[in-house]
Amino acid sequence: MEGATQPASKGGPIRDPFPGGADGSARARRLRGAAAALVLLALFVAVPLISRGYLLQFATDILTAVVLAYGWNLISGFTGYLSFGQVSFFGLGAYATALMVMRAHVPWYFAAPLSGLVGAAVALVLGPIMLRLRGILFALGMLGLARILEVVFNNWHYAGGSVGLSLPAELTPVAVYVGMGLLALAGFGISAFFVRSGFGLDVMSLNEDEEAAAALGVPTTRVKVIAFMLSALLPAIAGGLVAWNRSYIDPTSGFDPTVDLQTVVAVMFGGIGTLWGPFLGAAALMIVGEEFLVYFPNLELALYGIVVIATVLAFPGGLVGLANRLGLLRRPIVLSPKSLTAAPPEPRPREYTGPVLEVRDLTVRFGGLTALDHVSLSVRSGETLCIIGANGAGKTTLFNAITGSVKPTSGEILYLGEPISRVPTYLRAQRGMARSFQIPRLLPSLTVWENVVLASRHGRQSHRAAEHAAWVLETIGLAQMWRDPASRLTPGYQRQLEFARVLALSPELVLLDEVMAGMTRDEQEAVRSVIRRLPEFGVAAVACVEHVIAAVADLCDRMVVLDFGRKIAEDTPEKVLKDPAVVRAYLGEPL
Amino acid sequence: MLLLQILVNGVLVGGLYVLIAQSLNLIFGVMGVVNLAHGSFIVLAGLFTYWFTSATGLNPLLVLPLAFVVLGLIGAGLQPLLVEPLMKFGRKAELLSLMVTFGLSYVLLELALQLWGSDFVSVPYLQSSWSLGGLEFSKAFAVSGAFAAAVSAALYFWLNYTDSGKCLLAASQSSTGAICCGIDVRRVRLIAFGLGVGLAAAAGVLVIIVMPLAPQTSDDLTLLAFVIIALGGLGNYGGVAIAAILLGIAQSLSAFFLGGNAEYVLPYVLLILVMVARPERFRPA
Amino acid sequence: MPSRKHSWGVLLAGALGLSTAGIAVAPIAAQAAPPIVIGGTISETGPLATDGAYQIKGIELAIADANKAGGWLGRKLELKIYDDKSSAGTAVRLYERLITDDRVNLLIGPYSSLVTVGIAPLINKYKMATIEPGASDPSIYVAGNEWNLQGTASSIRYLDQLLPAAKAQGATTVALLGLESAFTLACYHARVAQAKELGMKIVYQTTYSLPLPSFASIALAIKNAHPDVVEACTYYPDAVGLTRALHEQGFAPKYLAETVGPVEAPYLKALGPLANRVITNTGWWTNFKTPGNDAFIAGYKAMFHQDPEYHAATGYAAIQALGAAVEGTHSLDQAKIRAWLLANEVPTIQGTFKVNANGLALGYAQDLLQIQDGVLKLVYPEADAEAKLLVPYTGS
Repeated sequence: MEGATQPASKGGPIRDPFPGGADGSARARRLRGAAAALVLLALFVAVPLISRGYLLQFATDILTAVVLAYGWNLISGFTGYLSFGQVSFFGLGAYATALMVMRAHVPWYFAAPLSGLVGAAVALVLGPIMLRLRGILFALGMLGLARILEVVFNNWHYAGGSVGLSLPAELTPVAVYVGMGLLALAGFGISAFFVRSGFGLDVMSLNEDEEAAAALGVPTTRVKVIAFMLSALLPAIAGGLVAWNRSYIDPTSGFDPTVDLQTVVAVMFGGIGTLWGPFLGAAALMIVGEEFLVYFPNLELALYGIVVIATVLAFPGGLVGLANRLGLLRRPIVLSPKSLTAAPPEPRPREYTGPVLEVRDLTVRFGGLTALDHVSLSVRSGETLCIIGANGAGKTTLFNAITGSVKPTSGEILYLGEPISRVPTYLRAQRGMARSFQIPRLLPSLTVWENVVLASRHGRQSHRAAEHAAWVLETIGLAQMWRDPASRLTPGYQRQLEFARVLALSPELVLLDEVMAGMTRDEQEAVRSVIRRLPEFGVAAVACVEHVIAAVADLCDRMVVLDFGRKIAEDTPEKVLKDPAVVRAYLGEPL
Repeated sequence: MLLLQILVNGVLVGGLYVLIAQSLNLIFGVMGVVNLAHGSFIVLAGLFTYWFTSATGLNPLLVLPLAFVVLGLIGAGLQPLLVEPLMKFGRKAELLSLMVTFGLSYVLLELALQLWGSDFVSVPYLQSSWSLGGLEFSKAFAVSGAFAAAVSAALYFWLNYTDSGKCLLAASQSSTGAICCGIDVRRVRLIAFGLGVGLAAAAGVLVIIVMPLAPQTSDDLTLLAFVIIALGGLGNYGGVAIAAILLGIAQSLSAFFLGGNAEYVLPYVLLILVMVARPERFRPA
Repeated sequence: MPSRKHSWGVLLAGALGLSTAGIAVAPIAAQAAPPIVIGGTISETGPLATDGAYQIKGIELAIADANKAGGWLGRKLELKIYDDKSSAGTAVRLYERLITDDRVNLLIGPYSSLVTVGIAPLINKYKMATIEPGASDPSIYVAGNEWNLQGTASSIRYLDQLLPAAKAQGATTVALLGLESAFTLACYHARVAQAKELGMKIVYQTTYSLPLPSFASIALAIKNAHPDVVEACTYYPDAVGLTRALHEQGFAPKYLAETVGPVEAPYLKALGPLANRVITNTGWWTNFKTPGNDAFIAGYKAMFHQDPEYHAATGYAAIQALGAAVEGTHSLDQAKIRAWLLANEVPTIQGTFKVNANGLALGYAQDLLQIQDGVLKLVYPEADAEAKLLVPYTGS
């Protein structure tokens, strides 16, 4: 497929199409929220008082759908890893509860929550393997998992085989209803945590652009696995409650793919990746399904399919997206500061005195192509090093190897004296190695503020992340735009934001990848002034890859020239630019 | 001798698998679209074949070109409505197409249920076998396998030796590069999708000769196709062909020695094993 | 002497009085007989719809016949049926609605073991004596579900007459197959036990799940074992697949028996000559001399313009049994009805309704059918047979 860097996606419809936040009157929002909560609580309490039969069962079914919707949303909506097999956890939870109740005589109200842990444990084991796959393979893998589990349980005689297990037929509808209600509330709570917290910001960032998130210090695998575990916990407990309520479980009903279908439709319809979407979608779907589909008995599946198609093509934000256009239910800005109080970073003592970065004999081969051939260089503390070379010389590969996106075939890379070849990208970023991308890889549907605070949370000023982020924004000059979604910035400001993120990490070493590309003279000047001021930000060393040599020649202390993967010159800019070998590399042999 | 017969059975089934998988591979390879409605198209064509042969009593193989053209056109018609609008989302297009075709599969499922009900049906064409050298070659599987091989070969030839086919390969490797070479990438995607659906229809006509189909089996067929592609390499035509045949042989062996359940679960187990053992094959490009 | 005016007045007063009394009494008389409402669900949509349609038609015919005869306890019968969409979960909700919201007098079960296994615990929780016409899976009828009463032969009896008959004719070896699905699996295990009990050698056995693309390897393994009898507890697509595969691998056992598949109409169409002499089972047949069977067949044809088949018969028989219990106890009390059904046998069009304490069917049996020249004929038990069992199976 295409080259190493991709253009930033234009906030694809899987995410909230109205990015950036609600701020408006916080008080009005709180009042609306409280009112909604009261209404829902009243409804919740009223149902068991009115009815102990059908209505109660129906309400329990609605709550079950809500729980499943929240669970699905945590993985597919927030992380962007679409899973078409979450019913696997539902079935596992149901069976775990049934086995605990029938074989170990555990009371159901303990067994169901414990089953949640079973689901989470399975997710913990599967997550690291499956979440490293491409998105579609994860989706298919989950689908396959549901099938495999169905066959496994069909053959497992201890669990009843294809006949399944019966549970004691006790009539406890109110207890199950309350339990499911609490579970739905938990789902809402976890989702609210995702939407408002720093952790949630990490999740949303890896949805937008996983590689960029890793470069900003987000521990992507850990975040994904935690989200996956939470997304398994909810359906597993729900499965346990449902198994108890129905007094039986068998492989067909435990791993029923229709459950997945309805969950997907519900969340897509309500608004994927949002806080209220799963609730609105699941409730609407259940009520519409029960009351209206009776009149169109043979159209149910087709209607579900059409809803999904229509939502993706025309209403990607679902109901919540529509509400957003009316100014309602907008996502609040994460970790939003009451005001930007600028406070310069605390100075950090510098322990290590040697070169900040050392590259020794680095070789990178892609199949038959040698992109880098035994390259050695070092970046000393206090200096700015420029790396130039013709296209295809290996400059970006060099950066990718230093940051960890590419695995070296041989050679060593030392950062602050320590070898880092085995250190994952996000950890390098957290230790102070920050890079910018050739084409700014911003997180388009997050605000300017969120883009920056994401980095500062993982950088070396993480203990005062908000203040540091505020300071960086003011210093760079983006303070007025802190609430704007990153996608709305002009290219010049996008480049500034990229810088802001790099600096929010409070790095020792800054790697700039062709920052002058596509800039006007004025924009170049702005970038140059930032580069000059980098030591103010506590940066020890800068390495930049550049094509527009004229713009950086006077900024750098030393220059390295690459040609076909080999270093052919290293000296001061004046000497290097006059070196005949360098001239030959750029302009070719004289005729 | 027994082992040979098991192998023969496996290869014959594998032949059919090749067509089921390649038609999906084409769509995926060219535009990165994951067509979850693949099985539904196969089933629709199969059920249509059943209806056609019941009503007219003609040879079901006659339906093959008809099904190919009709469903191919329908596929080409759906592409600009459902799939092309997603292409502008770059990397996200993969997952979005998953969603859209997921929805489409249920619309088609309902259509099939309305037209032909939920019963399993099959076509009683070629129900015996040829005896050669002490080995039995099931006629139905042999004929569908032969047709499948022919279609796959034609596809391979078209892709690698004709200009239009090479345009398609070019577009699948780099759409930007292809545009720069003057290739109308939109048209190529349209053709690829239509072709993929048409080939799925051809597979359906051949499948119903060998096994009963019902609307609810569409998901299993889609999953089977994906497993074969994942094992053979997404977008790798040669690899998928080999994987299909090997899977047929593996299923045949496991069914004989381990029983029916082993045959059913084998594709999924293999997929998980490969995912765990060779995860680099499945990493993002 | 009374004047003429006086007698006219008496006449008028009398007429007025009578009519007033009549107007007052009539609604009371009408109120004295509200209809008995029987509630249930059936698969009107979804994969089980085809057979569900037969079952509900049988029920509807039975209700119509009962009403023609004056109803039960002098009251007319009404049916309240919802569509469970072939889904157990939906059925659970709908049965709860029937019991708690609609407050029906009596319940009738849904179609198929798949759906029934879902509602069985609910039936027990609400203690409604319910006859289940569509669930042959014996594992439903255990303690904890004892208010569910099986209204069809248990699947452990499917094909149970074959092995003894084959053994008597000299068969010694048998191959057994079973689909991994509730009632077929129970059938499979029962057949395995029966073979062992009879001292016949099981030379091959396997279970499998659907969809299975090719039965070739299984057929090859069977051929390798060359059994006299091949008995398969199947559904429809696997019955077709197995029969074809056996033919393709070049093996024809003396006896080839499958459940469910061969009775379905498309089976013959799908296999043509391969279907000849395939053996299968049924709980009901047109030549049964059971009470009301001829009337049932004629009535079904008149009402629905098609021939009845065994699902319709189970539905009809269930209403027969329920009616007998209602009349027998002179009440609609669920406990009394259940007790009566446990204690009594009811002759129905498909045999004798008799259940044990857990509701498992003891009375209903399964006879053997064989396809002969494209037509299904009853071959066992010999006393009721239409034709003799033809041996061997040739596949042509």
